[in-house]
Amino acid sequence: MLGVKEQTLAYPKTKTSRMSATTKKRILIFSFLIVPIIHLLIFSYVPIITNFFLSFTNYNGVSTPTFIGFDNYVRLFTDPQYIQMFKNCLWYMLMSIPQLVFSFALAIFVNGKFRGLQLFKGIAIIPYLLNGVIVSTIFIIFFNNTGTLNMLLGALGLEGLTTNWLQNLDTVNPAIASISIWRYYGMNFIMFFGALQTIPKDLYEAAAMDGCNKWQEIRYIAVPAIKKVLYINLILSISGSIQVFELPYIMMNGANGTMTPVIQIQQSAFQDDRIGFAAALSMLVFVIVIIAIGIQKLVTKERSA
Amino acid sequence: MIKESKGFKLIRAIFLISAALFVIVPLIPLVFMAFKTGTEYASTGVFTAPQSFLNFYNFMYAINVGKLGEALMNTAIILAVSLTVQVLFTTMVSYVLHRFDFKLKKLVTFLFTMTMFIPVVTTQVVVFEIIYSIGLVNTIWSVIILYSGVGIVGIYIMLNLLDSISKDLDESALIDGASYFTIYRKIIFPLLKPATTTMLILNGIGLYNDFYIPNIYLNKSTQTFTVALYKFFGSMSTPFEIVAAAILLGVIPIMIVYLFMQKYIYYGLAGAVK
Repeated sequence: MLGVKEQTLAYPKTKTSRMSATTKKRILIFSFLIVPIIHLLIFSYVPIITNFFLSFTNYNGVSTPTFIGFDNYVRLFTDPQYIQMFKNCLWYMLMSIPQLVFSFALAIFVNGKFRGLQLFKGIAIIPYLLNGVIVSTIFIIFFNNTGTLNMLLGALGLEGLTTNWLQNLDTVNPAIASISIWRYYGMNFIMFFGALQTIPKDLYEAAAMDGCNKWQEIRYIAVPAIKKVLYINLILSISGSIQVFELPYIMMNGANGTMTPVIQIQQSAFQDDRIGFAAALSMLVFVIVIIAIGIQKLVTKERSA
Repeated sequence: MIKESKGFKLIRAIFLISAALFVIVPLIPLVFMAFKTGTEYASTGVFTAPQSFLNFYNFMYAINVGKLGEALMNTAIILAVSLTVQVLFTTMVSYVLHRFDFKLKKLVTFLFTMTMFIPVVTTQVVVFEIIYSIGLVNTIWSVIILYSGVGIVGIYIMLNLLDSISKDLDESALIDGASYFTIYRKIIFPLLKPATTTMLILNGIGLYNDFYIPNIYLNKSTQTFTVALYKFFGSMSTPFEIVAAAILLGVIPIMIVYLFMQKYIYYGLAGAVK
Protein backbone atom coordinates (compact mmCIF):
# COMPACT_ATOMS: atom_id res chain seq x y z
CA MET A 1 0.00 0.00 0.00
CA LEU A 2 2.69 2.39 1.03
CA GLY A 3 4.74 1.49 -2.03
CA VAL A 4 1.96 2.42 -4.42
CA LYS A 5 1.49 5.75 -2.74
CA GLU A 6 5.15 6.60 -3.04
CA GLN A 7 5.16 5.79 -6.74
CA THR A 8 2.28 8.11 -7.45
CA LEU A 9 4.13 10.86 -5.59
CA ALA A 10 7.10 10.67 -7.93
CA TYR A 11 7.37 14.40 -8.50
CA PRO A 12 7.79 15.60 -4.91
CA LYS A 13 10.27 12.83 -4.33
CA THR A 14 12.64 13.95 -7.06
CA LYS A 15 12.28 17.47 -5.82
CA THR A 16 13.49 16.60 -2.33
CA SER A 17 16.27 14.39 -3.63
CA ARG A 18 17.63 17.41 -5.48
CA MET A 19 18.24 18.98 -2.09
CA SER A 20 21.82 18.17 -1.14
CA ALA A 21 22.54 15.68 1.62
CA THR A 22 24.25 18.38 3.64
CA THR A 23 21.20 20.61 3.55
CA LYS A 24 19.00 17.74 4.70
CA LYS A 25 21.35 17.05 7.56
CA ARG A 26 21.41 20.70 8.54
CA ILE A 27 17.65 20.93 8.54
CA LEU A 28 17.35 17.90 10.81
CA ILE A 29 20.07 19.02 13.21
CA PHE A 30 18.55 22.48 13.45
CA SER A 31 14.97 21.33 13.92
CA PHE A 32 15.87 18.70 16.52
CA LEU A 33 18.03 21.00 18.62
CA ILE A 34 16.41 24.40 18.41
CA VAL A 35 13.63 24.05 20.99
CA PRO A 36 15.70 22.28 23.68
CA ILE A 37 18.49 24.83 23.26
CA ILE A 38 16.13 27.79 23.50
CA HIS A 39 14.64 26.21 26.62
CA LEU A 40 18.11 25.79 28.06
CA LEU A 41 19.06 29.39 27.36
CA ILE A 42 15.83 30.93 28.68
CA PHE A 43 15.51 28.83 31.83
CA SER A 44 19.13 28.20 32.83
CA TYR A 45 21.70 30.49 31.25
CA VAL A 46 19.81 33.76 30.97
CA PRO A 47 18.57 33.47 34.60
CA ILE A 48 21.95 32.71 36.11
CA ILE A 49 23.59 35.60 34.22
CA THR A 50 20.77 38.02 35.04
CA ASN A 51 20.99 36.80 38.61
CA PHE A 52 24.66 37.74 38.72
CA PHE A 53 23.88 41.33 37.74
CA LEU A 54 20.85 41.59 40.02
CA SER A 55 22.94 40.48 42.98
CA PHE A 56 24.73 43.85 42.92
CA THR A 57 21.49 45.82 43.05
CA ASN A 58 18.68 46.51 45.48
CA TYR A 59 15.97 45.43 43.00
CA ASN A 60 12.60 44.92 44.68
CA GLY A 61 10.58 43.71 41.70
CA VAL A 62 8.98 47.07 40.97
CA SER A 63 11.34 50.04 40.87
CA THR A 64 14.38 50.16 38.61
CA PRO A 65 17.33 48.36 40.19
CA THR A 66 20.05 50.59 41.66
CA PHE A 67 23.65 49.45 41.73
CA ILE A 68 24.79 48.97 45.33
CA GLY A 69 28.09 47.15 44.84
CA PHE A 70 28.83 44.30 47.22
CA ASP A 71 26.33 45.39 49.91
CA ASN A 72 24.19 42.24 49.57
CA TYR A 73 27.23 40.00 49.86
CA VAL A 74 28.62 41.94 52.80
CA ARG A 75 25.34 41.43 54.64
CA LEU A 76 25.43 37.71 53.90
CA PHE A 77 28.90 37.36 55.36
CA THR A 78 28.44 39.58 58.40
CA ASP A 79 24.88 39.18 59.66
CA PRO A 80 24.86 36.30 62.18
CA GLN A 81 21.31 35.43 61.09
CA TYR A 82 22.62 34.46 57.65
CA ILE A 83 25.76 32.81 58.89
CA GLN A 84 23.52 30.58 61.02
CA MET A 85 21.73 29.14 58.01
CA PHE A 86 25.01 28.02 56.48
CA LYS A 87 25.88 26.41 59.80
CA ASN A 88 22.57 24.55 59.62
CA CYS A 89 23.68 23.07 56.30
CA LEU A 90 26.59 21.47 58.12
CA TRP A 91 24.12 19.23 59.95
CA TYR A 92 22.78 17.97 56.65
CA MET A 93 26.30 17.34 55.41
CA LEU A 94 27.18 15.54 58.60
CA MET A 95 24.12 13.26 58.45
CA SER A 96 24.92 12.22 54.90
CA ILE A 97 27.97 10.42 56.28
CA PRO A 98 26.07 7.81 58.34
CA GLN A 99 23.49 7.60 55.54
CA LEU A 100 26.15 6.65 52.98
CA VAL A 101 28.35 4.57 55.26
CA PHE A 102 25.34 2.63 56.51
CA SER A 103 24.09 1.80 53.01
CA PHE A 104 27.62 1.15 51.73
CA ALA A 105 28.35 -1.32 54.53
CA LEU A 106 25.00 -3.02 54.08
CA ALA A 107 25.45 -3.41 50.31
CA ILE A 108 28.95 -4.81 50.74
CA PHE A 109 27.78 -7.15 53.43
CA VAL A 110 24.74 -8.59 51.71
CA ASN A 111 26.32 -8.70 48.25
CA GLY A 112 25.23 -11.79 46.36
CA LYS A 113 22.05 -13.69 45.66
CA PHE A 114 19.95 -15.04 48.50
CA ARG A 115 16.37 -15.57 49.55
CA GLY A 116 14.54 -12.41 50.60
CA LEU A 117 16.72 -10.05 48.56
CA GLN A 118 13.85 -8.84 46.39
CA LEU A 119 11.64 -8.33 49.43
CA PHE A 120 14.35 -6.36 51.17
CA LYS A 121 15.00 -4.15 48.14
CA GLY A 122 11.26 -3.60 47.89
CA ILE A 123 11.06 -2.37 51.48
CA ALA A 124 14.26 -0.33 51.38
CA ILE A 125 13.11 1.70 48.36
CA ILE A 126 9.75 2.77 49.86
CA PRO A 127 10.97 6.07 51.41
CA TYR A 128 12.42 7.13 48.05
CA LEU A 129 8.93 6.94 46.55
CA LEU A 130 7.33 9.27 49.11
CA ASN A 131 7.16 13.02 48.60
CA GLY A 132 8.49 15.64 51.01
CA VAL A 133 5.10 16.41 52.54
CA ILE A 134 4.54 12.75 53.36
CA VAL A 135 8.03 12.34 54.81
CA SER A 136 7.50 15.50 56.87
CA THR A 137 4.21 14.22 58.27
CA ILE A 138 5.76 10.88 59.16
CA PHE A 139 8.60 12.56 61.03
CA ILE A 140 6.47 15.14 62.77
CA ILE A 141 4.70 12.13 64.27
CA PHE A 142 8.05 10.47 64.89
CA PHE A 143 9.69 13.40 66.71
CA ASN A 144 6.55 14.60 68.47
CA ASN A 145 6.54 14.81 72.27
CA THR A 146 4.29 11.75 72.47
CA GLY A 147 5.71 10.36 69.24
CA THR A 148 7.48 7.24 68.11
CA LEU A 149 11.01 8.20 69.10
CA ASN A 150 10.17 9.21 72.66
CA MET A 151 8.05 6.08 73.05
CA LEU A 152 10.91 3.88 71.92
CA LEU A 153 13.34 5.67 74.22
CA GLY A 154 10.91 5.23 77.10
CA ALA A 155 10.52 1.54 76.35
CA LEU A 156 14.30 1.17 76.45
CA GLY A 157 14.43 2.87 79.83
CA LEU A 158 16.09 5.98 78.41
CA GLU A 159 13.49 8.54 79.55
CA GLY A 160 16.33 10.92 80.33
CA LEU A 161 16.99 11.36 76.63
CA THR A 162 13.44 12.22 75.65
CA THR A 163 12.76 15.77 74.58
CA ASN A 164 10.43 17.68 72.31
CA TRP A 165 12.80 17.19 69.39
CA LEU A 166 11.38 19.74 66.98
CA GLN A 167 10.84 22.49 69.57
CA ASN A 168 14.17 22.13 71.31
CA LEU A 169 16.62 24.51 69.61
CA ASP A 170 19.54 22.16 70.21
CA THR A 171 17.92 19.14 68.61
CA VAL A 172 15.73 20.51 65.83
CA ASN A 173 18.40 20.72 63.11
CA PRO A 174 20.09 17.38 63.76
CA ALA A 175 16.63 15.79 64.04
CA ILE A 176 15.46 17.07 60.65
CA ALA A 177 18.83 16.40 59.03
CA SER A 178 18.85 12.83 60.30
CA ILE A 179 15.68 12.10 58.32
CA SER A 180 17.87 11.83 55.22
CA ILE A 181 19.28 8.61 56.66
CA TRP A 182 15.82 7.07 56.61
CA ARG A 183 14.83 8.67 53.33
CA TYR A 184 17.85 7.87 51.19
CA TYR A 185 19.70 4.87 52.60
CA GLY A 186 17.53 2.43 50.62
CA MET A 187 18.19 4.30 47.40
CA ASN A 188 21.91 4.43 48.16
CA PHE A 189 21.84 0.75 49.02
CA ILE A 190 20.41 -0.07 45.60
CA MET A 191 23.02 2.12 43.90
CA PHE A 192 25.87 0.44 45.74
CA PHE A 193 24.35 -2.99 45.32
CA GLY A 194 23.93 -2.39 41.58
CA ALA A 195 27.57 -1.29 41.30
CA LEU A 196 28.65 -4.46 43.08
CA GLN A 197 26.84 -6.60 40.53
CA THR A 198 29.07 -5.21 37.79
CA ILE A 199 32.15 -6.89 39.31
CA PRO A 200 33.12 -9.75 36.96
CA LYS A 201 32.21 -13.17 38.34
CA ASP A 202 35.65 -14.65 37.58
CA LEU A 203 37.21 -12.32 40.15
CA TYR A 204 35.22 -14.09 42.85
CA GLU A 205 36.03 -17.46 41.36
CA ALA A 206 39.73 -16.69 41.32
CA ALA A 207 39.49 -15.58 44.93
CA ALA A 208 37.71 -18.82 45.85
CA MET A 209 40.49 -20.81 44.14
CA ASP A 210 43.08 -18.95 46.15
CA GLY A 211 41.24 -19.94 49.31
CA CYS A 212 39.84 -16.56 50.26
CA ASN A 213 37.15 -16.53 52.92
CA LYS A 214 34.05 -14.33 52.84
CA TRP A 215 35.67 -11.56 54.88
CA GLN A 216 38.71 -11.42 52.63
CA GLU A 217 36.45 -11.34 49.59
CA ILE A 218 34.70 -8.27 51.04
CA ARG A 219 37.94 -6.61 52.02
CA TYR A 220 39.90 -7.16 48.80
CA ILE A 221 37.28 -7.30 46.04
CA ALA A 222 33.98 -5.64 46.96
CA VAL A 223 35.17 -2.58 48.90
CA PRO A 224 37.82 -1.42 46.40
CA ALA A 225 35.41 -1.93 43.50
CA ILE A 226 32.75 0.47 44.70
CA LYS A 227 34.80 2.94 46.70
CA LYS A 228 34.55 5.40 43.82
CA VAL A 229 30.77 5.41 43.98
CA LEU A 230 31.04 6.21 47.69
CA TYR A 231 33.37 9.16 47.05
CA ILE A 232 31.14 10.58 44.33
CA ASN A 233 28.12 10.37 46.60
CA LEU A 234 29.92 11.92 49.56
CA ILE A 235 30.95 14.94 47.51
CA LEU A 236 27.54 15.22 45.87
CA SER A 237 26.01 15.32 49.34
CA ILE A 238 27.88 18.58 49.96
CA SER A 239 26.15 20.20 47.02
CA GLY A 240 22.89 18.60 48.17
CA SER A 241 23.25 19.92 51.72
CA ILE A 242 23.67 23.48 50.57
CA GLN A 243 20.41 23.15 48.60
CA VAL A 244 18.30 21.69 51.42
CA PHE A 245 14.79 23.02 51.25
CA GLU A 246 11.86 20.63 51.49
CA LEU A 247 11.88 19.18 54.99
CA PRO A 248 12.80 22.25 57.07
CA TYR A 249 10.39 24.32 54.96
CA ILE A 250 7.46 21.93 55.25
CA MET A 251 8.04 20.92 58.87
CA MET A 252 9.09 24.24 60.40
CA ASN A 253 8.70 26.88 57.66
CA GLY A 254 12.32 27.75 58.37
CA ALA A 255 11.37 28.93 61.87
CA ASN A 256 12.87 27.83 65.16
CA GLY A 257 16.42 28.14 63.86
CA THR A 258 15.91 25.82 60.88
CA MET A 259 16.44 28.41 58.14
CA THR A 260 18.45 27.23 55.14
CA PRO A 261 19.84 29.27 52.20
CA VAL A 262 17.16 28.06 49.78
CA ILE A 263 14.28 28.82 52.15
CA GLN A 264 15.82 32.26 52.65
CA ILE A 265 16.09 32.81 48.88
CA GLN A 266 12.43 32.02 48.51
CA GLN A 267 11.36 34.19 51.43
CA SER A 268 13.47 37.16 50.35
CA ALA A 269 12.41 36.95 46.72
CA PHE A 270 8.73 36.10 46.96
CA GLN A 271 7.62 37.43 50.35
CA ASP A 272 9.95 40.30 51.28
CA ASP A 273 10.51 41.58 47.71
CA ARG A 274 14.25 41.73 48.34
CA ILE A 275 15.09 40.32 44.93
CA GLY A 276 18.61 41.76 44.77
CA PHE A 277 19.46 40.12 48.07
CA ALA A 278 17.87 36.81 47.02
CA ALA A 279 19.94 36.96 43.84
CA ALA A 280 23.14 37.42 45.85
CA LEU A 281 22.28 34.46 48.06
CA SER A 282 21.51 32.40 44.94
CA MET A 283 24.93 33.28 43.54
CA LEU A 284 26.60 32.18 46.75
CA VAL A 285 24.80 28.81 46.67
CA PHE A 286 25.70 28.52 42.98
CA VAL A 287 29.40 29.06 43.68
CA ILE A 288 29.42 26.49 46.51
CA VAL A 289 27.71 23.93 44.26
CA ILE A 290 30.21 24.59 41.45
CA ILE A 291 33.10 24.05 43.85
CA ALA A 292 31.58 20.80 45.16
CA ILE A 293 30.81 19.35 41.72
CA GLY A 294 34.16 20.58 40.40
CA ILE A 295 35.98 18.69 43.16
CA GLN A 296 33.87 15.62 42.42
CA LYS A 297 34.77 15.74 38.71
CA LEU A 298 38.46 16.09 39.59
CA VAL A 299 38.32 13.16 42.00
CA THR A 300 36.51 10.92 39.50
CA LYS A 301 38.88 11.83 36.69
CA GLU A 302 41.95 11.14 38.78
CA ARG A 303 40.62 7.78 39.87
CA SER A 304 39.52 6.53 36.50
CA ALA A 305 42.76 7.72 34.85
CA MET B 1 31.28 -18.28 44.62
CA ILE B 2 32.73 -18.51 48.07
CA LYS B 3 30.64 -20.57 50.43
CA GLU B 4 28.91 -18.59 53.13
CA SER B 5 29.18 -19.92 56.67
CA LYS B 6 26.12 -20.32 58.94
CA GLY B 7 27.37 -17.53 61.17
CA PHE B 8 27.70 -15.18 58.23
CA LYS B 9 24.16 -15.96 57.08
CA LEU B 10 22.79 -15.32 60.57
CA ILE B 11 24.52 -11.97 60.92
CA ARG B 12 23.34 -11.01 57.46
CA ALA B 13 19.75 -11.88 58.34
CA ILE B 14 19.94 -9.78 61.52
CA PHE B 15 21.35 -6.84 59.55
CA LEU B 16 18.67 -7.05 56.88
CA ILE B 17 15.79 -7.38 59.31
CA SER B 18 16.97 -4.41 61.36
CA ALA B 19 17.42 -2.34 58.21
CA ALA B 20 13.91 -3.26 57.05
CA LEU B 21 12.39 -2.47 60.46
CA PHE B 22 14.20 0.87 60.40
CA VAL B 23 12.16 1.75 57.31
CA ILE B 24 8.86 0.28 58.46
CA VAL B 25 8.57 1.42 62.09
CA PRO B 26 8.13 5.17 61.38
CA LEU B 27 5.44 4.31 58.79
CA ILE B 28 3.19 2.32 61.14
CA PRO B 29 1.73 5.26 63.14
CA LEU B 30 0.76 6.99 59.88
CA VAL B 31 -1.18 3.97 58.63
CA PHE B 32 -2.87 3.47 62.00
CA MET B 33 -3.75 7.13 62.25
CA ALA B 34 -5.57 7.17 58.92
CA PHE B 35 -8.14 4.72 60.30
CA LYS B 36 -8.63 6.32 63.70
CA THR B 37 -11.49 8.62 64.66
CA GLY B 38 -10.64 12.07 65.99
CA THR B 39 -11.25 11.17 69.62
CA GLU B 40 -9.46 7.87 69.22
CA TYR B 41 -6.41 9.68 67.80
CA ALA B 42 -6.35 12.06 70.75
CA SER B 43 -6.69 9.34 73.36
CA THR B 44 -4.50 6.51 72.05
CA GLY B 45 -0.76 6.11 71.58
CA VAL B 46 0.85 6.20 68.14
CA PHE B 47 1.42 2.45 68.12
CA THR B 48 -2.09 1.52 69.24
CA ALA B 49 -3.93 -0.09 66.34
CA PRO B 50 -7.21 1.58 65.35
CA GLN B 51 -10.44 0.00 66.60
CA SER B 52 -11.46 -0.74 63.05
CA PHE B 53 -9.56 -0.82 59.77
CA LEU B 54 -12.91 -0.30 58.06
CA ASN B 55 -13.27 3.27 59.27
CA PHE B 56 -13.11 5.10 55.92
CA TYR B 57 -14.50 8.39 57.22
CA ASN B 58 -11.10 10.12 57.07
CA PHE B 59 -10.57 9.04 53.47
CA MET B 60 -13.97 10.30 52.37
CA TYR B 61 -13.40 13.58 54.18
CA ALA B 62 -9.99 14.02 52.55
CA ILE B 63 -11.42 13.42 49.08
CA ASN B 64 -14.34 15.78 49.55
CA VAL B 65 -12.70 18.66 51.37
CA GLY B 66 -9.09 18.55 50.26
CA LYS B 67 -9.80 18.92 46.53
CA LEU B 68 -7.38 16.05 46.19
CA GLY B 69 -9.11 14.59 43.14
CA GLU B 70 -8.69 17.83 41.22
CA ALA B 71 -5.08 18.12 42.33
CA LEU B 72 -4.30 14.55 41.29
CA MET B 73 -5.83 15.33 37.90
CA ASN B 74 -3.55 18.36 37.48
CA THR B 75 -0.56 16.24 38.44
CA ALA B 76 -1.58 13.64 35.86
CA ILE B 77 -1.83 16.22 33.08
CA ILE B 78 1.47 17.83 34.05
CA LEU B 79 3.20 14.46 34.11
CA ALA B 80 1.73 13.28 30.82
CA VAL B 81 2.67 16.42 28.89
CA SER B 82 6.09 17.07 30.37
CA LEU B 83 7.25 13.46 30.31
CA THR B 84 6.23 13.13 26.66
CA VAL B 85 8.13 16.29 25.77
CA GLN B 86 11.13 15.22 27.85
CA VAL B 87 11.35 11.83 26.17
CA LEU B 88 10.97 13.28 22.67
CA PHE B 89 13.48 16.07 23.17
CA THR B 90 16.00 13.93 25.01
CA THR B 91 15.99 11.24 22.32
CA MET B 92 16.11 13.87 19.55
CA VAL B 93 19.05 15.74 21.06
CA SER B 94 20.88 12.47 21.77
CA TYR B 95 20.30 11.21 18.23
CA VAL B 96 21.76 14.39 16.77
CA LEU B 97 24.72 14.49 19.16
CA HIS B 98 25.54 10.82 18.56
CA ARG B 99 25.04 10.45 14.83
CA PHE B 100 25.96 13.80 13.29
CA ASP B 101 29.03 15.99 13.11
CA PHE B 102 28.48 19.70 12.82
CA LYS B 103 30.29 22.93 13.46
CA LEU B 104 28.68 23.88 16.76
CA LYS B 105 28.55 20.36 18.21
CA LYS B 106 31.16 21.11 20.87
CA LEU B 107 29.33 24.23 21.98
CA VAL B 108 25.96 22.45 22.10
CA THR B 109 27.40 19.57 24.14
CA PHE B 110 29.06 22.09 26.45
CA LEU B 111 25.78 23.97 26.98
CA PHE B 112 23.91 20.80 27.92
CA THR B 113 26.70 19.49 30.15
CA MET B 114 27.15 22.74 32.06
CA THR B 115 23.53 22.78 33.21
CA MET B 116 24.50 20.29 35.90
CA PHE B 117 26.39 23.15 37.52
CA ILE B 118 23.27 25.35 37.58
CA PRO B 119 20.94 24.01 40.27
CA VAL B 120 17.27 24.87 39.80
CA VAL B 121 17.18 26.52 43.22
CA THR B 122 19.67 29.19 42.15
CA THR B 123 17.75 30.41 39.11
CA GLN B 124 14.16 30.67 40.29
CA VAL B 125 14.41 34.32 41.36
CA VAL B 126 14.81 35.29 37.70
CA VAL B 127 12.82 32.41 36.19
CA PHE B 128 9.83 33.51 38.25
CA GLU B 129 10.04 36.97 36.64
CA ILE B 130 10.14 35.34 33.20
CA ILE B 131 7.20 33.03 33.87
CA TYR B 132 5.32 35.93 35.45
CA SER B 133 5.93 38.20 32.47
CA ILE B 134 4.41 35.64 30.09
CA GLY B 135 1.42 35.32 32.42
CA LEU B 136 1.76 31.65 33.32
CA VAL B 137 1.98 31.89 37.11
CA ASN B 138 -0.81 29.87 38.73
CA THR B 139 -1.46 27.86 35.59
CA ILE B 140 -0.20 24.31 35.17
CA TRP B 141 1.68 25.48 32.04
CA SER B 142 4.31 27.18 34.20
CA VAL B 143 5.19 23.84 35.76
CA ILE B 144 4.93 21.96 32.47
CA ILE B 145 7.32 24.35 30.71
CA LEU B 146 9.86 24.19 33.51
CA TYR B 147 9.70 20.39 33.56
CA SER B 148 10.14 20.11 29.80
CA GLY B 149 13.86 20.74 29.64
CA VAL B 150 16.42 18.18 28.54
CA GLY B 151 18.58 16.94 31.39
CA ILE B 152 22.16 15.86 30.97
CA VAL B 153 21.60 12.59 32.84
CA GLY B 154 18.94 11.59 30.30
CA ILE B 155 21.31 12.44 27.44
CA TYR B 156 24.05 10.31 28.99
CA ILE B 157 21.73 7.31 29.32
CA MET B 158 20.62 7.69 25.69
CA LEU B 159 24.15 8.19 24.33
CA ASN B 160 25.30 5.04 26.12
CA LEU B 161 22.56 3.01 24.51
CA LEU B 162 23.13 4.63 21.09
CA ASP B 163 26.70 3.31 21.21
CA SER B 164 25.28 -0.18 21.01
CA ILE B 165 22.87 0.56 18.14
CA SER B 166 24.74 -0.23 14.94
CA LYS B 167 25.22 2.60 12.46
CA ASP B 168 24.76 0.07 9.66
CA LEU B 169 21.04 0.23 10.39
CA ASP B 170 21.03 3.98 9.68
CA GLU B 171 23.09 3.55 6.55
CA SER B 172 21.04 0.83 4.96
CA ALA B 173 17.89 2.83 5.69
CA LEU B 174 19.50 5.87 4.04
CA ILE B 175 20.31 3.80 0.94
CA ASP B 176 16.69 2.68 0.86
CA GLY B 177 15.77 6.33 0.62
CA ALA B 178 14.64 6.97 4.20
CA SER B 179 14.98 10.52 5.50
CA TYR B 180 16.88 11.25 8.70
CA PHE B 181 13.60 11.92 10.41
CA THR B 182 12.29 8.50 9.37
CA ILE B 183 15.46 6.89 10.69
CA TYR B 184 14.91 8.61 14.03
CA ARG B 185 11.24 7.71 14.17
CA LYS B 186 11.32 4.18 12.79
CA ILE B 187 14.72 2.90 13.93
CA ILE B 188 16.36 4.95 16.67
CA PHE B 189 13.35 5.85 18.80
CA PRO B 190 11.98 2.27 19.04
CA LEU B 191 15.44 0.87 19.83
CA LEU B 192 15.92 3.41 22.63
CA LYS B 193 12.89 2.00 24.43
CA PRO B 194 14.76 0.45 27.40
CA ALA B 195 16.39 3.79 28.15
CA THR B 196 13.23 5.82 27.63
CA THR B 197 11.28 3.50 29.93
CA THR B 198 13.84 3.93 32.70
CA MET B 199 13.87 7.67 32.17
CA LEU B 200 10.07 7.84 32.17
CA ILE B 201 9.80 5.99 35.45
CA LEU B 202 12.58 7.74 37.36
CA ASN B 203 11.63 11.20 36.11
CA GLY B 204 7.98 10.34 36.60
CA ILE B 205 8.57 9.55 40.27
CA GLY B 206 10.69 12.68 40.61
CA LEU B 207 8.08 14.97 39.06
CA TYR B 208 5.16 13.34 40.87
CA ASN B 209 6.89 14.01 44.16
CA ASP B 210 8.36 17.39 43.32
CA PHE B 211 7.35 20.06 45.78
CA TYR B 212 9.74 22.91 45.06
CA ILE B 213 8.58 24.05 41.61
CA PRO B 214 4.78 23.71 42.02
CA ASN B 215 5.00 25.36 45.43
CA ILE B 216 6.50 28.46 43.83
CA TYR B 217 4.33 28.63 40.72
CA LEU B 218 0.99 27.19 41.82
CA ASN B 219 -0.09 28.52 45.13
CA LYS B 220 -3.69 29.56 44.70
CA SER B 221 -6.53 27.62 43.18
CA THR B 222 -4.58 25.37 40.83
CA GLN B 223 -2.54 22.81 42.70
CA THR B 224 -0.60 19.62 42.16
CA PHE B 225 -1.07 16.74 44.53
CA THR B 226 2.03 17.57 46.58
CA VAL B 227 1.05 21.21 47.01
CA ALA B 228 -2.56 20.33 47.82
CA LEU B 229 -1.30 17.97 50.49
CA TYR B 230 0.95 20.71 51.85
CA LYS B 231 -1.87 23.27 52.02
CA PHE B 232 -4.02 20.64 53.64
CA PHE B 233 -1.32 19.83 56.13
CA GLY B 234 -0.39 23.44 56.78
CA SER B 235 -3.89 24.64 57.60
CA MET B 236 -4.29 24.27 61.33
CA SER B 237 -7.96 23.36 60.99
CA THR B 238 -7.23 20.02 59.30
CA PRO B 239 -7.12 17.20 61.84
CA PHE B 240 -3.98 15.13 61.61
CA GLU B 241 -5.82 11.85 61.05
CA ILE B 242 -7.36 13.33 57.89
CA VAL B 243 -3.92 14.32 56.63
CA ALA B 244 -2.78 10.75 57.22
CA ALA B 245 -5.69 9.42 55.18
CA ALA B 246 -4.98 11.87 52.35
CA ILE B 247 -1.38 10.74 52.30
CA LEU B 248 -2.30 7.08 52.02
CA LEU B 249 -4.59 7.92 49.10
CA GLY B 250 -1.83 9.81 47.32
CA VAL B 251 0.61 6.98 47.77
CA ILE B 252 -1.61 4.54 45.88
CA PRO B 253 -0.67 5.64 42.32
CA ILE B 254 3.03 5.59 43.04
CA MET B 255 2.81 2.21 44.73
CA ILE B 256 1.09 0.78 41.66
CA VAL B 257 3.82 2.11 39.38
CA TYR B 258 6.38 0.76 41.78
CA LEU B 259 4.89 -2.74 41.97
CA PHE B 260 4.89 -3.15 38.21
CA MET B 261 8.05 -1.24 37.37
CA GLN B 262 10.41 -2.20 40.21
CA LYS B 263 12.91 -3.68 37.79
CA TYR B 264 13.31 -0.38 35.95
CA ILE B 265 13.70 1.60 39.15
CA TYR B 266 16.59 -0.59 40.30
CA TYR B 267 18.12 -0.56 36.84
CA GLY B 268 17.85 3.22 36.65
CA LEU B 269 19.25 3.87 40.12
CA ALA B 270 22.16 1.49 39.59
CA GLY B 271 22.81 3.03 36.18
CA ALA B 272 22.71 6.59 37.47
CA VAL B 273 26.04 6.07 39.19
CA LYS B 274 28.03 5.36 36.05
